[in-house]
Amino acid sequence: MLAYLIRRILATIPVVLMVALFVFSLLYIAPGDPAAIIAGDQASPEDVERIRASLGLDRPFLVRFFEWLWQVMHGDLGTSIFTNLPVSHMIAQRIEPTVSLMTLTLILSLSIAIPMGVIAAWKHGTWIDRVVMMVAVFGYSTPVFVVGYLLAYLFALQLDWLPVQGFTSITEGLIPFLRNLILPAVALGLIYMALLARITRATMLDVLSQDYVRTAKAKGVEQKGILFVHALKNAAVPIITIVGIGFATLIGGAVVTESVFAIPGLGRLTVDAILRRDYPVIQGVVLLFSFTYVVVNLGVDLLYTVFDPRIRY
Amino acid sequence: MRRRDFLRTTAGAAGILAAPRISRAADSKVLRFVPQANLANLDPIWTTQYVVRNASALMWDTLYGVNDQLVPQPQMVEAHETSADGKTWTFRLRTGLKFHDNAPVLSKDVVASINRWMVRDSSMGVGIKRNLDALEAVDDRTFRFRFKAPYPKLLFALGKSSTPVLFIMPERIAATDPFKQISEYIGSGPMTFKKDEWVPGSAATFERFAGYEPREEKASWLAGGKRINFDRIEWKILPDAATASGALQNNEVDWLETPLPDLIPLLKKSPGISVDISDDLGNIGVFRMNHLYPPFNDERARRAVQIALNQADYMRAVVGDDEALWKLLPGFFTPGTALYTEQGGDYLKGPRKYDEAKKLLAEAGYKNEPIILLVATDVSITKAQGDVTADLLQKIGMNVQYTALDWGTVGQRRASKEPPDKGGWNIFHTWSAGADCINPAPYTGLDASGPTAWFGWPKSDKVQAKIAEWFAATDLATEKTVIGDLNQAAMDDVVYIPTGFFKGYQAWRKNVTGIVKAPFPVFWDVSKT
Repeated sequence: MLAYLIRRILATIPVVLMVALFVFSLLYIAPGDPAAIIAGDQASPEDVERIRASLGLDRPFLVRFFEWLWQVMHGDLGTSIFTNLPVSHMIAQRIEPTVSLMTLTLILSLSIAIPMGVIAAWKHGTWIDRVVMMVAVFGYSTPVFVVGYLLAYLFALQLDWLPVQGFTSITEGLIPFLRNLILPAVALGLIYMALLARITRATMLDVLSQDYVRTAKAKGVEQKGILFVHALKNAAVPIITIVGIGFATLIGGAVVTESVFAIPGLGRLTVDAILRRDYPVIQGVVLLFSFTYVVVNLGVDLLYTVFDPRIRY
Repeated sequence: MRRRDFLRTTAGAAGILAAPRISRAADSKVLRFVPQANLANLDPIWTTQYVVRNASALMWDTLYGVNDQLVPQPQMVEAHETSADGKTWTFRLRTGLKFHDNAPVLSKDVVASINRWMVRDSSMGVGIKRNLDALEAVDDRTFRFRFKAPYPKLLFALGKSSTPVLFIMPERIAATDPFKQISEYIGSGPMTFKKDEWVPGSAATFERFAGYEPREEKASWLAGGKRINFDRIEWKILPDAATASGALQNNEVDWLETPLPDLIPLLKKSPGISVDISDDLGNIGVFRMNHLYPPFNDERARRAVQIALNQADYMRAVVGDDEALWKLLPGFFTPGTALYTEQGGDYLKGPRKYDEAKKLLAEAGYKNEPIILLVATDVSITKAQGDVTADLLQKIGMNVQYTALDWGTVGQRRASKEPPDKGGWNIFHTWSAGADCINPAPYTGLDASGPTAWFGWPKSDKVQAKIAEWFAATDLATEKTVIGDLNQAAMDDVVYIPTGFFKGYQAWRKNVTGIVKAPFPVFWDVSKT
């Protein structure tokens, strides 16, 4: 196991390097010019050119890439072109809202979607199953921003229960923290819940038709025990796989959700950086996201061994 | 847990979540303001973005400042003297001026600030630098300009609101290369910048500077006593217009600088919210052609577009049917200001002449070559103008190639002097703040100096001669005559085509008072109950 872990961690290095090269190349060939944005609309072409030179954007691709890579290898993600702040500082400012949003979304999604899927499988073919699937189809097909606006309109503007926007750190209290995050988490979690509920249902249906489940029933094991102890544990591997894969969906959704609810997280930082062509910030955030994704998938692989002892590394 | 217990607990939790918040932000000493854009940096010389200028006006003071009549008034300056030949200007700073580190503002700080600004201000600063024999600190409170030739527009240059504004910084900060960003934010104005609370893209906070001594006069735009009635002004960056409007309705913010026009009817109906025009100087829509390449290197091709262009189409596309928001503009200068003129504007008046336009295009040798129209589709104003232009060009028989880009890419591509079919362009749209079009000094778009002119590189000796005459003019009557001729010359040579004059709204909660119409948000004398 330890050897496997070390192998997997080492394997993340070329993956992250490839991502870094890909992103850097993409940004290099993509049109757009931060110097023009900095100079402003009324600036002269000469001023734009001088700003470009002062930012080092006129240097060759390879020089810029290896310089950046050298910095990254020394733990320095560079400095934002626009804010003049270290990229690591900007990421540190933004990481708590995003982690909070994603954690709450995951908790909500898992605690709602898995029971929904289990119940739908248990009541297969009944109206309960159909309602659960209808909700899942609705959740999967409705864009995050539509759900976000509808929730904000209803719960903030009409009912005046919750704020429209913003983020409050959990250090300022659980209630203010939840007040700000509950609507974004529901909006972001809907698609994730739908995905998980459908997979849970399908996997559970498969497991519930297995011989050992019939045997358990014959032995008089109560329904709850069959569903949550015997069946769900055996259905866990595909569900965990979807949790891992769905993490990328969650990252993509967070970008939109953070914009709609004005949450100062990494998603908004990414959008702002892309719109302004703030290359060091884009590179830093994408590197972080790709590293996180690799780590999450490593965690998923390790979880397999917990739920299925037959799996060994 | 039993079902009833679960429901009771859930309902209780929902009630707690829905309880009204009591926060520092609700304090009447805190103003929550939503600016037009993200405050991504705070160097008003390094960048000319309006949002940076607006934040900087809180932090730094100016030597002079234009008032609501667009007349420069002394601000940090106590008095000045001009030599009989108009070549030497001597200024004396008022007493009690302090930077935010409590160091006194001295002449050496002023000289360093002017030196940095002159390099970057292509509208006036560069001209001043070129005409300068010496700029010197005479003593701690006195500094002097010595010009090669008289420069009657100096006070306007020192106090103008168009970017870059001449803000006064400490010498060590002002010594920064003008093309590099400053990293220390020590101001000279009424508010300090809380760098530790700054989250670019989300929030910026300013706190009242106890050491600032406002002038005695009533405040008016950049001039007069800048009295701040808040301990803190919190800028909240809300990039989504619907979210920003919702936040205003829900009392989460106090003032929106630029609400989305589509949401204005909703805001007008909302109790507790006031909506009004933000700036009577408004904006001028810009149709910019590339004068370097066919067909628009030929005046007849430019004229063809000019006589076919219907400004009403553009304005309806930009701001909708609310006619309080726009008007036709057969001229280059801002309506309602002293130098506004329609001399030479007949090209843009009356029924549009499509047949004559086609004839002119044929005379200019246009043979259906693709016309590269750059459209920034992520900015509603440029997108609307681009759509109307695509339709207009088709009407007069041009082969338009609508190139949809984002603003960042348009900003890059418009700088290209390559031929249109090799990565260059023929047309792009933007707009200018009316405050920047009140006279030729800040009016970058009217410069027709050819290779050194603004994007499109128009060349007109007549226009340049009139601009030079205006700079030399010493009285308003002469200025008006010169501007009339300048307007005529710029129309005749089609330097660019104005697509109309339009305004925007601002919105605020009714418990906020003292908000005025201006080309930038004016925070002094605003209060909240």
